[in-house]
Amino acid sequence: MANITKKVSWSSRADDSAAAQAGEATPLLNGSEQERHTSRQQSGGGSICQIGRLTTVELEEEITADEESIRGQTREIPHNEKLLSLKYEGLDYDNIENQLFLEEERRMSPMGFRCLEVSRWVVCGLIGFLTGLIACFIDIAVENLAGLKYEVIKRNIENFTETGGLSISLILWGGFNAAVVMLGSILVAFFEPIAGGSGIPQIKCYLNGVKIPRVVRLKTLVVKVFGVICSVVGGLAVGKEGPMIHSGAVVAAGVSQGRSTSLKRDFKMFEYFRRDTEKRDFVSAGAAAGVSAAFGAPVGGVLFSLEEGASFWNQMLTWRIFFASMISTFTLNFFLSIYNKKTGELSSPGLINFGRFESESVEYYLYEIPLFIAMGAIGGLLGALFNFLNYWITIFRIRYIHRPCLQVMEAMLVAAVTAAVSFTMIYFSNDCQPLAPENSEEYPLQLFCSDGEYNAMATAFFNTPERSVRSLFHNQPGSYNPLTLGLFTLTYFFLACWTYGLAVSAGVFIPSLLIGAAWGRLCGILLASVSPNASIWADPGKYALIGAAAQLGGIVRMTLSLTVIMVEATGNVTYGLPIMLVLMTAKIVGDYFIEGLYDIHIKLQSVPFLHWEAPATSHWLTAREVMSSPVTCLNRIEKVGTIVDTLSNTSTNHNGFPVVVESAGNDEPGKLCGLILRSQLIVLLKHKVFVELVRSRLTQRKLQLKDFRDAYPRFPPIQSIHVSQDERECMMDLTEFMNPTPYTVPQDTSLPRVFKLFRALGLRHLVVVDDENRVVGLVTRKDLARYHMGKHGLEELQLAQT
Amino acid sequence: MSFNQNTLLVVLSCICISVCVSGEVVSAGSPVFKTHVDPLYSLNLLTALNDYSDISQYCKDLLDLFGNQYVAYVNCLVPAARPVKVCQNCFVNFENLNKTYTNISSDEVGPAGEVCRDSLLRSDRLMLVFLLFSNLDGIWEKSNCKNCISSDSPSLTNDTLYFLAMLNQTYNCFDQYQQGNHTELCKNCKNTYRDLNILYSEMEKNYTMCIDIEDAMNVTRRRWSKTFNCSFPREENVPIIAVSSFMLFLPIIFYLSSFLHSEQKKRKLIQPKRVPQYSSLMNIQDKLS
Repeated sequence: MANITKKVSWSSRADDSAAAQAGEATPLLNGSEQERHTSRQQSGGGSICQIGRLTTVELEEEITADEESIRGQTREIPHNEKLLSLKYEGLDYDNIENQLFLEEERRMSPMGFRCLEVSRWVVCGLIGFLTGLIACFIDIAVENLAGLKYEVIKRNIENFTETGGLSISLILWGGFNAAVVMLGSILVAFFEPIAGGSGIPQIKCYLNGVKIPRVVRLKTLVVKVFGVICSVVGGLAVGKEGPMIHSGAVVAAGVSQGRSTSLKRDFKMFEYFRRDTEKRDFVSAGAAAGVSAAFGAPVGGVLFSLEEGASFWNQMLTWRIFFASMISTFTLNFFLSIYNKKTGELSSPGLINFGRFESESVEYYLYEIPLFIAMGAIGGLLGALFNFLNYWITIFRIRYIHRPCLQVMEAMLVAAVTAAVSFTMIYFSNDCQPLAPENSEEYPLQLFCSDGEYNAMATAFFNTPERSVRSLFHNQPGSYNPLTLGLFTLTYFFLACWTYGLAVSAGVFIPSLLIGAAWGRLCGILLASVSPNASIWADPGKYALIGAAAQLGGIVRMTLSLTVIMVEATGNVTYGLPIMLVLMTAKIVGDYFIEGLYDIHIKLQSVPFLHWEAPATSHWLTAREVMSSPVTCLNRIEKVGTIVDTLSNTSTNHNGFPVVVESAGNDEPGKLCGLILRSQLIVLLKHKVFVELVRSRLTQRKLQLKDFRDAYPRFPPIQSIHVSQDERECMMDLTEFMNPTPYTVPQDTSLPRVFKLFRALGLRHLVVVDDENRVVGLVTRKDLARYHMGKHGLEELQLAQT
Repeated sequence: MSFNQNTLLVVLSCICISVCVSGEVVSAGSPVFKTHVDPLYSLNLLTALNDYSDISQYCKDLLDLFGNQYVAYVNCLVPAARPVKVCQNCFVNFENLNKTYTNISSDEVGPAGEVCRDSLLRSDRLMLVFLLFSNLDGIWEKSNCKNCISSDSPSLTNDTLYFLAMLNQTYNCFDQYQQGNHTELCKNCKNTYRDLNILYSEMEKNYTMCIDIEDAMNVTRRRWSKTFNCSFPREENVPIIAVSSFMLFLPIIFYLSSFLHSEQKKRKLIQPKRVPQYSSLMNIQDKLS
């Protein structure tokens, strides 16, 4: 019995009391192991006696042999959500105040700083403009291609309704969808897997301070844009709004750098912004611009950035972000007005336009608020169900469908099945509604309805999701019958759930809105039929809106920004309170069961994501237990050979190295005097800044901050830098380049304190020192992110190679 | 057509009667009302009103003309309500009324040296003449009659006439086969009906449609689909179900095969370097105990 518990807690730190008790009879396990890779690592100091880490301690003697063999080879487990991937690194948000930096600052005139400020505004304006243009391009492309598709299929269906052979239309529809989706999926699966999905989880991580590889590259943007066009035209249950946020972020990261590494073009602009601090601020502006273009919600965009990346915020930055958002929605609006041949008539601020809720019946009454709250609860429940199903599908996909060709096949199958289900639904629907000029259906399908009528199911399925949402919001009461809506909700729920997470770039906003709008409208209709006078106030369109908000809130669990986005997208502040209440209820109810969809996906990608607060009940953990130790340190004046060896060591892919004053003895930890990053060392090695060389060639140009910026953000790997045998014997002086004042904490600092430092300052490395300022350990993001509240209290995630 | 004429007559007479009756009611009502007020005062008031008129004879004539034409137009409209024939039957009346109103509202100076527009349209809060006309004009606008009437000489457009001819043809066909089996009708009238439908959708695209045509088409379509039941039958259930269940079946195979054949992705665990010490263990125990 005891054995079982211990085996479980081998992979997670679930049972800390058991661990502590087992610790009493602790054998020395991995002392020898740690000795092995110490070139200049301090082995445990005098007071530090080396015993296995807490989790290994639990194993009793009888399994020790087994355990040793496990340590020899790498242990492998199936992918699950309780892992942290090694491929993610932190962003260097913290400024490195080395001597080069100080020199540059001294050289810079006050005018120069003013120019910088102005160019920040210019960059934000450009971000907004380009994001708006991209949104415009996506919108026009989708509209035309989807229009073409529906036109062709509609004509085909009309022909075959008369002569028979509708199954051919079905095959045509399915085949067309599958073909288009295949295109988009190939782009994503083979060229840029990171462009899959909505991109919001990735941007959330980036704003959180995690560098997701390749997430803000130009290639990603191109794949994203074409991928999203393909997946919407391919008729999947997806929207183009989420990807817009990612696109905005990529635009921001690109524009602010004034160059493109992919295209190998350097415009020699904005060189000052080539570091993580500035880039991340601009990325938050880009994400805001993306939201703003997607929903026509500039304030919502700003609040989205605030909600997702708010630990580093200031008033000027917010104001700039707002500027970018406004420019973005204006640009989209302006260019769409040109496209619609109404130049200057700025009436389409976002990709999704909810239309205006203006008629008398859309006012709400006090007694409706409990109804809204109840709908919020339903939304929370349905959202939790959605997330739960999607969680399992995603786990299955990660484990079994990881080859690109399989992913493409899966996407094609989903597209074909979506078409088949839609067609069957439309075919067997008996809901016929008269064509009226006021509900202008774009592609009305008649099928077996009488002449002059159209199939109501087709308005929901045979349309782009955006249009379906709008018709659910605004069509006359009575243009859908309850059965149609019920069936539609059911099928679309499962389709959307199945679709999200495919290797196509596509968002979940619109499908959620659509599901919610359908059942919300259903609620409205049922209310009107239940109570006699409800038909006056129970406007189905209003309930569709509330349902949409509830469903979306239940799935993504965003709060403030989502409320504002919904209010802005409807253009009606009157609904502020109901929407807020609905989103609150949905979040409370949903959180009781499972996390939000984006958080689930972040977890499943094993990203070291830091939440707002350290997990509760973690105050007893101190920096000493959290930190990695022993630390690979470098001397202030270090031999080149040592540095090259340290950097090329594949087993320890460290990024930050504390710089210590040369210690007398080898086993004594050195006194901390600075911190240097891998990227800096690589630039130094590349430029061969060796003490001997500098001495011999006095004319050599001094290394400047610019050289570091030029190499940013893709520093070459250590393998590509050639260091000759002679050079290995040279020395390197790190004094000028290291960060002389890194943040440090004493060993007894509690986890929440360390956590707060990380979250508030955007740290990447935090050195743990003893009372004599000697380095004893290093805390990184992964050390903190591995603690989280599980079902059984505090749990520990494991590091894994992915 | 003869049927329509008859109904028109009946309706007209009905209107006449109702107007007369209401007139009687009014005339009968006013003396009753008068008895409640001081007779002398009211008499004075009436005579004063009768004596003084602030409009010229010219304008009064215009007003009378307007009134007559108004009545004529309304009389024409009401019987044309169902089936809707407001455009084809009454466009002449509307043209007349419109002309008169244009006269009234023009700023031409009449023979008596006054502008009727000011005296008739703008002298009081009610602006009855304007109100009356704008009501009818609204009806005219809403019914889109403009699209069916050629503007130069008030007459129906060629398109409309052609459509009406086609409609007539279709109705004749319906009448011909109405007795007996409707499948016969569906088969034989299909071509004329389809031509009519095509013509209609063309007109719909060109915006050359008025309410008359829309309504006629709606009625025809309803007869075709509901009365005669000539819509397309749902006959292909089996192939549709077969094809879609085949498509639904594909993913199941796909997932099963990838579950069985694709090797599960494993993650290599990495042992982090940690130094938990005596002291911390002691700490935990202290804190837990």
